[in-house]
Amino acid sequence: MLKRSRGRWFWMRASLPVAIVVAIGLIAIAMEPLAAQGYTPREYGDFPIIGSRAAIWIAAQLHLFFAAFVLGVPMFAVVAEAIGIFSSDDRYDKLAKEFTRLLLVSYSATAMWGAVLVFGLITLYPGLWGYLSEIFAPSMWVYVGIFFFESFTLYLYYYGWDRWKKGRAKWGHWGLGILLNLWGTAVMLIANSWLTYMMSPPAEVTPDTAPGMVQFWSAFANATWMPINIHRFIANIVFGGAIVGAYAAFRFLSAKTDEERAHYDWMGYIGNFIAISALIVLPFAGYWLGREIYEFNQQMGTTMMGGFMSWLWVVQAFLIAVLFLAGNYYLWIGMGRIPGAERFMPYTKWMLLVLLIGAAVWATPRNMIANRAEITAMGGQFHPFLGALGVMSAKNTAVNFMILTTFLSFLLYRRANKKAVVSWEKRGTTIQGALFVIAAAVVLFYGVYGYFVPNIVRIGFSVYQVLAVITAIVLVIVIDMLMMRGAKSRGEIRWGEMPERSQYALFILAVTFTWLMGLMGFARSGIRQHWHVFEVLRDTSVDAATPALGYASIVISVCVLIFLSMVSFIFWVGGLAEKPVISGVGGGATGSAPVARDQEI
Amino acid sequence: MTNIKILGVMIGTIAIYTWIANAIPQLESVVPEELSFSSDVSEAELVAAGAELYSGGAGCTTCHGLETRAPNLLTGYGGEGTIGTRCGTRVPGQDCKTYLHESLVNPMAYVVEGGFDPMVFQARVFSGAQIWALVAFLQDQGGVVTVTGADVAAAAEADAAAPAGGPMVASNDPLEIMRGNLCLGCHMLEGEGAELGPAFDGIGSRITTDRIRRSIIDPAAEIAEGFDHLAGSMPPNLADMLTARQLEVLVDFLAGQGG
Ligand code: HEC
Ligand code: HEC
Ligand code: HEM
Repeated sequence: MLKRSRGRWFWMRASLPVAIVVAIGLIAIAMEPLAAQGYTPREYGDFPIIGSRAAIWIAAQLHLFFAAFVLGVPMFAVVAEAIGIFSSDDRYDKLAKEFTRLLLVSYSATAMWGAVLVFGLITLYPGLWGYLSEIFAPSMWVYVGIFFFESFTLYLYYYGWDRWKKGRAKWGHWGLGILLNLWGTAVMLIANSWLTYMMSPPAEVTPDTAPGMVQFWSAFANATWMPINIHRFIANIVFGGAIVGAYAAFRFLSAKTDEERAHYDWMGYIGNFIAISALIVLPFAGYWLGREIYEFNQQMGTTMMGGFMSWLWVVQAFLIAVLFLAGNYYLWIGMGRIPGAERFMPYTKWMLLVLLIGAAVWATPRNMIANRAEITAMGGQFHPFLGALGVMSAKNTAVNFMILTTFLSFLLYRRANKKAVVSWEKRGTTIQGALFVIAAAVVLFYGVYGYFVPNIVRIGFSVYQVLAVITAIVLVIVIDMLMMRGAKSRGEIRWGEMPERSQYALFILAVTFTWLMGLMGFARSGIRQHWHVFEVLRDTSVDAATPALGYASIVISVCVLIFLSMVSFIFWVGGLAEKPVISGVGGGATGSAPVARDQEI
Repeated sequence: MTNIKILGVMIGTIAIYTWIANAIPQLESVVPEELSFSSDVSEAELVAAGAELYSGGAGCTTCHGLETRAPNLLTGYGGEGTIGTRCGTRVPGQDCKTYLHESLVNPMAYVVEGGFDPMVFQARVFSGAQIWALVAFLQDQGGVVTVTGADVAAAAEADAAAPAGGPMVASNDPLEIMRGNLCLGCHMLEGEGAELGPAFDGIGSRITTDRIRRSIIDPAAEIAEGFDHLAGSMPPNLADMLTARQLEVLVDFLAGQGG
């Protein structure tokens, strides 16, 4: 009986996004002949009360939130499944399946908001929609097609989980997971081309270029396309991890048994681990994106970093600081459930100090390029204090220090309950320490030296800083893995014995990251200012001016609230439909999982 | 209870971010005024638009009205009355409207006597309608406004044929770039140009490459030594008129001007 009803669920869920996509396709086709009959569609529509801009903003942002989630989660579902296969540790397989279940229900939400967005564009911005669809029509069809395949791959992946569980079939099943990721990435690449085109249309496109004359490939692979692909790809992993972490935290807090608590504690740890590891790479991708924007158009770069948006970066830095702090805080508390971690606790206050200083430096705005009205509004050309810290050199240095510190937190966490048995333990640790010191010294050296060289040289310096940090991280991990071979346990991690306040760090992480995404979405779209397509298609609607951050923050908060409520609902419904999958993690202090496995990731 | 706490933390976090974003200076990006007058635009509308441009976006008041840098326009100058009354007498046989229009679109054509350097003004940045609005405003200063909707309509048509925007000159030759962008209207180089701003001769040994670039992109960021009194007179939008390539060519060229 239960099985039957689940089957019906399946078809309903399966057919919904597909039906929506087909409907969009039909409408797009239906609009075609209208244009041919010499009927000129109006440029803009009206949306009651909140206005067209806010309406489309909310639709786009919510679509993006869900899309980012369904893009990020399959990535680590597939990785977790692979770990499960290689280590024959069933826990990971179950975790992967639970991830996928979250995915399933989020998928229709993505499609729904996608439909809202497309209908919104057609009814509120028909002119822009017509323009874009004329350039991108073929890729829109491909998008719809891929979406179709993606849905079915996902359903096969999830519902085939228990059928294709063994031997070759399991590998086939894992292949489905890979395929799912390929579809997802392809969908993102296509959608990114549309929005990056609006930001950086190729140079040969002018206001007089008829959309039909725009070369498809030069529009598709435009200047900011690849940097945004990379930045988003990474951001989506962070996002997926953060939301999964919050889900686990929620489940942890409402858990009834120790076993459940242990499982969701572990899941929360993994969500946080994924989020923070990917977060560490994000600044590099961000700086690359920023540089490409500058290179594409100086004026746009100046608007972004200096003009009316300069304060946005202060808020961004604040949010990122919260992310680093919340992630580290969670790890530090987590050490409480690891025997042997006490010996590292004294270091945490110094790490906290580095993080706080780093955050403060990063939040100091760069000298702001502003016009007269803006200067009056800001109260001076330069930020009132620490002007010199506001330049890139200082920021790069600060963020690299924050990354090193976070990595150190992970290392200590990993190391906490282990006792190496290799003879060279002391030397190994000294070398690791030296690597940290060298990396920090390189970062600091170039950070300071950066003040004495021209811009163009300084940009090169940030590469050395990054290389030093990445090299140190890789070498330290390699040494650590060798050193901890066959390490003796100082005691099991007591999964589930986590103070409740730690879970709130996971919520803060998720909320903050979601908000950050909303903020950066505003940044991306705001730097176009009064252009739909930068310096090509002008925004002539009543909403052409780009609002100040205060208004934007309200819209962003509304989006975040809608998203979180929908996600909570979806997760809650998901919990109703199925009994939570409890993995074999040991419950509480009686846990029996071997140490080496606890920290596979 | 737990759920309420979770809700509280989430909403609290969102509220804090919203509050921070509202507590910082609120900067909007306003749409640059685009005058789209129809041919039946009224005189009053033109004059009002011109007045706004004059004291706002067009930057005329960085030079006019100080007496020292340029002749006064809104008040009398040299015993000749306000600009609206003197414009018809400047060039024999040229009516006020033509003279004012020429002064703006081709500032090098007539130079008022009194020891001034030629006016530096980039009419190209403005639409034809905006230029006409300025002319109407100036005429209104003591004279009769003769700018008509037909002038505006004709200008709009010309604009449509050759839209503004993009670089001033197509060349990547540093001297061409400097001439085309009026740099030499304020700076001297090997005897060419005017002496309002610091001379380019030897500039590469005086200031760093970085600072040269910054001085062009954002002239107000640092003021050249001894030129404090002229702070703000170098137009801030010059870099927008250069391609990225041209900017680098210029910076390289200037950095190469050793002592
Ligand atoms: C960089 C300084 C500068 C700016 C900015 C400037 N002017 Fe001038 N203007 C001058 C100087 C110097 C003269 C006198 C020399 C000449 O005629 O070229 C002048 C002359 C004029 C004249 C002729 C005056 C007469 O008595 O015949 C008019 C008209 C004029 N400017 C209008 C404007 C308007 C309108 C603007 C703003 C759109 C403007 N100017 C911006 C410097 C400037
Ligand atoms: C309206 C007059 C004017 C025009 C046009 C102008 N400048 Fe300037 N410029 C100045 C003044 C006045 C200063 C000194 C005050 C300051 O630093 O802002 C200056 C300063 C500079 C400096 C810094 C010099 C130093 O010694 O610190 C550079 C470099 C420069 N200008 C380059 C240019 C270039 C390149 C152009 C053309 C694209 C240009 N300027 C056009 C007036 C002008
Ligand atoms: C630790 C550093 C950074 C973090 C955590 C971060 C985070 C994010 C996030 C979450 C998004 C939204 C992605 C999405 O919607 O898919 C985003 C987008 C963006 N970021 Fe960053 N970012 C960082 C650094 C930077 C830097 C240094 C720059 C530029 C100078 C930058 C520029 C942008 C822009 C323009 C977007 C909009 C592109 C888009 O919509 O995808 N970021 N960032």
